[in-house]
Amino acid sequence: MMKTVMETETVISFANVSTNYDNGHDILTDVSFNIGAGSFYFLTGPSGAGKTTLLRLIYQLHKPTKGQIKLFGQDCDNISRNDISILRHKMAIVFQEYSLISHMTVFDNVALPMRVRGLPNDKIKKIVTKTLEWVGLGKYANAYPVELSGGQQQRVSVARAIIIQPAILLADEPTGNLDDDNASRLMELFVQMNKAFGTTIILATHNKKLLETYKFPVISIDNRHVSFSGANGDKKTETSRKWKGPQPQSSNYFSEISKQFENIGNS
Amino acid sequence: MKKTSLVFSLVREQTNFMTVVISVLTFLSVLAFGIALAVGGGVIRWNNQWEKYATVQIINQDNAKTIQKIFETNSDKIESVVEISKPEMEQRLKPWISSGTKINDYLPQMFEIKLKKSSDMQFMKNEISTRAKFLTHTSAIKSSMSAGWKLVGITTFVLIIMLISIGLCISYISRNIAMLHKHELEILNQVGATDKFIIHQMQIIVGKISAIATLVGFVIAIPVILLILTTAHSARVGLMATLSLTGFDWLMLIILPILILMFSVYITKKTTLKILSEK
Repeated sequence: MMKTVMETETVISFANVSTNYDNGHDILTDVSFNIGAGSFYFLTGPSGAGKTTLLRLIYQLHKPTKGQIKLFGQDCDNISRNDISILRHKMAIVFQEYSLISHMTVFDNVALPMRVRGLPNDKIKKIVTKTLEWVGLGKYANAYPVELSGGQQQRVSVARAIIIQPAILLADEPTGNLDDDNASRLMELFVQMNKAFGTTIILATHNKKLLETYKFPVISIDNRHVSFSGANGDKKTETSRKWKGPQPQSSNYFSEISKQFENIGNS
Repeated sequence: MKKTSLVFSLVREQTNFMTVVISVLTFLSVLAFGIALAVGGGVIRWNNQWEKYATVQIINQDNAKTIQKIFETNSDKIESVVEISKPEMEQRLKPWISSGTKINDYLPQMFEIKLKKSSDMQFMKNEISTRAKFLTHTSAIKSSMSAGWKLVGITTFVLIIMLISIGLCISYISRNIAMLHKHELEILNQVGATDKFIIHQMQIIVGKISAIATLVGFVIAIPVILLILTTAHSARVGLMATLSLTGFDWLMLIILPILILMFSVYITKKTTLKILSEK
């Protein structure tokens, strides 16, 4: 069962973390930082600097060669595959390239996180139907990803991520394939999630307009090192709101965020 | 809305190929097992049929009365004594003897005895063998029995090879599915799927293929086994004529495809777990 309240204020902690590519080339060296619950960070850096790798490290899709990563206070060194799966029940990741399963319908793609958690079909049907309606894709439930526009596919991807009401949302250039208008609308959704529900968000982006518009602290990666800047940026510790946890019975979560989904990516 | 949605998709060609391969292997497994059971049962039945029989050859006629006395003394152990007449022996030997040869003078006096219990065979041999030749039928058919057991060994070996092939084939299929669906595996990882969930998905796919394939293989193998048994019975005599399958044997044959199906699902679990831990 997911906890409804954070037990610790620091949800992501890196201590002297280094990692490299399979060919031995270093990507990140001696990276240390703490990220508090409910914070919102932009993640920037030149292409190939290691933004995706940093997100993959947090999401336990990539292992560090050195150092310690803690998520929700839990040391991830030598963590079992099953425990990683359980940790991921409190996290979600959105990629620029959508990562949808092409032979599955929109409904089944969005339902996937709930299916892997073993929720009953009637409950899944209810929540997915509601979520799809809220993101404006209700009539596309039986469509396949290939039949949707890029913006619509990104909405499916975001719907799949938020349906579990994650404590941490990692987004790897989610606006990369969207025009400015749709990018802005998607950003508003993330901001709303962060403000209303205390979801910790790290959003990797190249988009300077977004960085200028939203004055969130920035994590910059350059030359294998990480630096922090911005209003609330603090390398040592960053704490703020508590995550309010999943409340599947409450319509508040979706009714709030649904306002942000209207018309995103309909072009 | 669909009740269960599989994350891994397979195109029709892949599914058909896998079904055909597993069907053929199941067919050969059932066939090998059927032959092993029929021959094994036949050997045991044939041995049981002759284990109470022996032939007594009296070469020196001076011993004839003594042998008769031994028969009478041990009548409680002997069920029947049948003398094989000289004309009958002559008739049996005729094909191997050139015409005009008078073999009558050289033929021994012969008896075929049947004991009540096969355990008395050694006792009777000890009593008679000092005065006459005592040949058990079991020793006479020893080479045929040996050949029968060798045949059982060979078919069992073939069955083991088939089961290993099925294991390798299922392992390859699972690995192939995982390789074809790297993207789906990555997404499953991202959404927090446990190994158990992924394994279950793979088991559904392989289970469905194996269930159809084992059924097809079994259904084709049964008439072939019946044809083999009918052909063997047409020999009328000898080991071949004793080949048959009992009710228990048929039950074992029915269980084999079910075991193959369970084996396939187990191999899928092991292979998938290995693939996931390699990731």
